[in-house]
Amino acid sequence: MTVRDLVEISAGNLWRMKLRTCLTLAGVVIAIGAFVAMVSFGAGAEKNVSEEYEKLGLFTTMQVYPPAADSLGDSVPPPPLTDSVVARLARLPGVRLAYPYDAFSVSVRLDTLELSAEAQVLPPAAVATRLYSRLVAGRRPDANGSREAMVTREFLEDHALGPADSILGRSIAVSVSSSTLDSAVVHVVRQESRRVEQFIDAFDFDSLDNVGYLRRTATGEFNAAARSFLEGYLGRPMITTDTLTIVGVIDGPQGRRLRVKPLIIPEQSARRFAAAKSGPDPAELLAAFQSGRVGNLFGGDTAAPDAYSRVTLDLEPGTGYAALSDSIRAMGYETFSYLEQFAEIQRFFLYFDLMLGVVGMIALVTASLGIVNTMVMSILERRREIGVLKSLGADDRDVWLQFLAESGVIGSVGAVLGILLGWVVTRIASFVAVRVMENQGMTAVELFDLPLWLIAVALLFGTAVSVAAGLYPAARAARVNPVEALRNE
Amino acid sequence: MMDSAAYIQTDEVCRYYRRGASEVRAVDRVSLAVERGGFLAIVGASGSGKSTLLNLLAGLDTPTSGHIAVAGAPLGAMSRRELSAYRANRVGVVFQTFNLIPHLTALRNVELALCFNGTPRPERRRRAAAMLDRLGLADRADHRPADLSGGEQQRVALARALVKGPEILLADEPTGNLDRENTRQLADLLTAHNRDGLTVILVTHDLPLAERLAGRVVRMHYGRLVEGTEAG
Repeated sequence: MTVRDLVEISAGNLWRMKLRTCLTLAGVVIAIGAFVAMVSFGAGAEKNVSEEYEKLGLFTTMQVYPPAADSLGDSVPPPPLTDSVVARLARLPGVRLAYPYDAFSVSVRLDTLELSAEAQVLPPAAVATRLYSRLVAGRRPDANGSREAMVTREFLEDHALGPADSILGRSIAVSVSSSTLDSAVVHVVRQESRRVEQFIDAFDFDSLDNVGYLRRTATGEFNAAARSFLEGYLGRPMITTDTLTIVGVIDGPQGRRLRVKPLIIPEQSARRFAAAKSGPDPAELLAAFQSGRVGNLFGGDTAAPDAYSRVTLDLEPGTGYAALSDSIRAMGYETFSYLEQFAEIQRFFLYFDLMLGVVGMIALVTASLGIVNTMVMSILERRREIGVLKSLGADDRDVWLQFLAESGVIGSVGAVLGILLGWVVTRIASFVAVRVMENQGMTAVELFDLPLWLIAVALLFGTAVSVAAGLYPAARAARVNPVEALRNE
Repeated sequence: MMDSAAYIQTDEVCRYYRRGASEVRAVDRVSLAVERGGFLAIVGASGSGKSTLLNLLAGLDTPTSGHIAVAGAPLGAMSRRELSAYRANRVGVVFQTFNLIPHLTALRNVELALCFNGTPRPERRRRAAAMLDRLGLADRADHRPADLSGGEQQRVALARALVKGPEILLADEPTGNLDRENTRQLADLLTAHNRDGLTVILVTHDLPLAERLAGRVVRMHYGRLVEGTEAG
């Protein structure tokens, strides 16, 4: 008996028992449909994450951090993440670009609107990476765009600045205020010059021999000068302003490590702001006054260049993450690789898919009991037919194969229809989900994915479980005694 | 003792069943021999063991004791698979109730007999159609058994038994459900095929028919061969 004979005879037998076959088939179809729909949800989620990673170039992105203070123990802390360290990182093999995370508060004036915002400095090469590739409108600042800025879509939405296109080409004045020694000294001179003049006029030079008078006078004058200095330092900051043109609006990457500040400004502006800010932080200054170590803050030996909180590395595709990470760790820094993070996510999705798959398999096993029932019923009804086949020369294996083929046909047809059902269900669910997401103002994403491997697995599982369910009935059919089966009733 | 000249030979063949506490001796120490191309009729009342003996000869049942040999090959030494091959190639069986598969056409029923002996599909169709034509059923090829008369159904069953070109035809009460005219037609067909060299063993309770067709008639009574006659 050929395979074609088996399939033809099996299909013919199943067709004869249409209602029973359809009911049995329905069980398999629903089970496979549920399996496909559930696993395709998991596959869709994994695909979304993978695409997001791919789109943002995260598979070729690594971040470098200074180690947490509590993780150092007795070991010597590494040098801070300064420009020189960034340059060293950029020279490591496989690193295309290294740029620091540099963000600060600015005041922004857009026409008549004045507001506070956070600005982030990004070199043109960094802006050109895929991490910042999701342009909503306009373009990215070019390499020579020293007066060009970008804003995020969130910035526009938070300040109700209208559609993205409308802001392109508009000028934005970005300012930073900084407390400087200059502002303090100018204030002292302005405020104290007349009083100093009066003081000199009124000074009793005959009292120079009186040490107590001198100490009181000196202390009083110094305190007055110090108060005036602090007032000038804290209350009269210098304002540095840079006027930039907005050339693009982007959807900044999301996530704790990736979130971009609302305003992206060029390096040149950042350098101008940094140059203006020559004095220490006012809080540090107050603390220094209290501790009596003011001198250290102004050109003392502890002064160090600005350190960054993290550095982002853009890598050549195919760079060995482990080796690069080891080299950076050897420098004393911590690394974070999105590829490693994605491997973790994939592991999670594997368990998630397995869990969904197990639920689907339970449904399929339940449906397979229907197959067993159908086939056993079929044997009881077709005992005489089995007897005839054996009298014609069919051996046990032929009969066994025929019944196994029937359960296999139920399984494979059920699997095909189940895959179709699963696909239809996911399309409907996706349609509804996309509408809901759009209504909620969210970016609509496709929640489901039906990859080829899932189709193959569903087809294989459906057929295999059905064939397995047919094993017992087929063995029973093969054991039918032809003499008893053919005995006249 | 086995007769080396016989084509089919049974030697002290017994087939006993247990039914509850009692033992049923369906076939009891039956020894007979049939030469190649012979026509043996086995007659007897219902329950005399004729059909059981036929099943033993077809290899569908196994003797409790004794031996059966066909062309010198003992059936008892054959595996289940070899017995299936024996039925698929060398033996055709016709039943009283025709035992056609009801959902298949006459042509497909006949073709089915060729599914188990490796006959290629196109060859099957051609041979089945030719056999139906030979038995006068060409215009009934696409009919299902329910659409055929009893006589036609039995002729389809005969076509199914003969289509593989067997050496032996075992017919179990083939005329039991037929009227006189159909009985005559079937008898003619059996005679014609026997003349062509087919060894026929006919089981019937119709002694006149047996005596008319068979070269030799034996009678069974309670599982035993009680007498034998050499017929016309």
